[in-house]
Amino acid sequence: MAIKVGIVGIGHTRFGNSSEYDLADVMAYAATDALQDAGFLERRREIDQVVVGNMASGMFCHQSGVASSLISRMDMEPVPAELVENGPASGASAIKIGYMAVASGMADIVLVVGGEIMRKVSGWEATDLVATILHSEAEYDMGLTLPAFGGMFTRLYMEKYGLTERDLALLAVKNHRNGAKNMYAHIQAPCTIEAIADGPEAAVVNTYVAEPLRMYSTCPVSDGAAALLLVNMDSPKVRDFKKKPIRIAGIASATDTHCVHNRKDPLRLEAVRLAAEKAYKMADLGPKDISFAELHDAFSILELAISEEVGFFERGKSFLAVRKGETDIDGRLPINTSGGLKSKGHPVGATGVSQAVELVRQLRGEAEEGRQVRNPKYGMSVNFGGFGNNVVALICAKD
Amino acid sequence: MIDFSIYGAKTPTIKAYKCLTCGAVYYPAPMVCGKCSTRRDPVTGKGWETFDLEGSCVLLTWTRVWNLPEGYTKKYLLFGIVQFENGLRASGQLEVEDPRIGMKLNATVKESDERPGNPVNVFVFRE
Repeated sequence: MAIKVGIVGIGHTRFGNSSEYDLADVMAYAATDALQDAGFLERRREIDQVVVGNMASGMFCHQSGVASSLISRMDMEPVPAELVENGPASGASAIKIGYMAVASGMADIVLVVGGEIMRKVSGWEATDLVATILHSEAEYDMGLTLPAFGGMFTRLYMEKYGLTERDLALLAVKNHRNGAKNMYAHIQAPCTIEAIADGPEAAVVNTYVAEPLRMYSTCPVSDGAAALLLVNMDSPKVRDFKKKPIRIAGIASATDTHCVHNRKDPLRLEAVRLAAEKAYKMADLGPKDISFAELHDAFSILELAISEEVGFFERGKSFLAVRKGETDIDGRLPINTSGGLKSKGHPVGATGVSQAVELVRQLRGEAEEGRQVRNPKYGMSVNFGGFGNNVVALICAKD
Repeated sequence: MIDFSIYGAKTPTIKAYKCLTCGAVYYPAPMVCGKCSTRRDPVTGKGWETFDLEGSCVLLTWTRVWNLPEGYTKKYLLFGIVQFENGLRASGQLEVEDPRIGMKLNATVKESDERPGNPVNVFVFRE
């Protein structure tokens, strides 16, 4: 029988601008939060393995060996520590590797930390450095960036399904409403549909980034870290923690072509579909069982496209559900209760772990007033690497 | 008129690849054929042939990017994905006044030194 893996501790820094701090210190802050949450700080040297998710500390901070650095900052030697890199899905990949360590029987307790400091460089440099995950000759050299692919994907979706720019603005309004109540969010401010779509100043307030994507359909550049403490739920050690575990019911990943232009249907996100299918199968669940979800909305269009690929909505129909409020906090299927990447922020290596922290907060009933989902049982997250070429899906359960 | 060809100046090109075992074509270059698993040695090129990817193509989607990365001095750039007559697709820059999905374009190649590092060959799709 497979070993059950649970999350007994969560930690999170407030996302935003932490550029004056050292990356390892920021990660250590979130890790310390997670250990305190689990009541395990004093016993941290009993942890069997630390897994760190980070995309590009070498480029953003001129810093390498961050897993070792983190161990030292927390006085945790000789606990083993390694780094996992999967672009903007590094965080969820770190969770997956941590899960595998426990599920295989190699470890009973694993600390997973995801973090990124992106704002030590200018916005222009950050856009360029993130773009290095694209195909070096066929995409990056052409001048393409992630927002460029977001814009081209959005245009195709609009052409095929009738999505409007106002629909994208509605997503921003929803996610900012949630993020405004999230103490960890980068942008804790609501926005109105008048200000960013309907009003006379909207085109000035909400300028184009990569047409037809506007600023309010694009996530900010953020710094921050998040952490989880994983435990073997079948081990007697599980009783040593302060909080009851939230079970990882399913976790899986899949890949797709590196070059976006080589996908048979450029509107399909095959890696999302496959990762979700595998996670559902592992959890013995389906899309109808999910109570709420955190979906990787680096560009608002991705919240829609991912929600369709994972089976929440029919293809080309998700934005109609958003119009009806079905993905609001009190809707049929709340999506991006944390504010999503749009409002909570997107420190690339931290995002997957941050999404899992939100799943745990919601399933424990610990989210702030006004954004707590009513009696959730299963939460799902999708963390998106590259432009969908390496994706991780996670399902957490409250038993 | 000066004939620059005497200085050995080369016209920039971008290559596509054909597996001689099964005939499958690729852009960009694979290291193993996706259809018959024939290996491609990038040094000898044995078992593969290359050809210039250029000419007539159709625009599949496009965008105008206003926040260009480090190195670009233009206010904005247009980008697109096109499909060639042989079925291959490519991403590149777009120099078209009024882009429309489905319009016929001509793929050309220019040398660009906008990004940091050595100059690179980039696609420019024009009417």
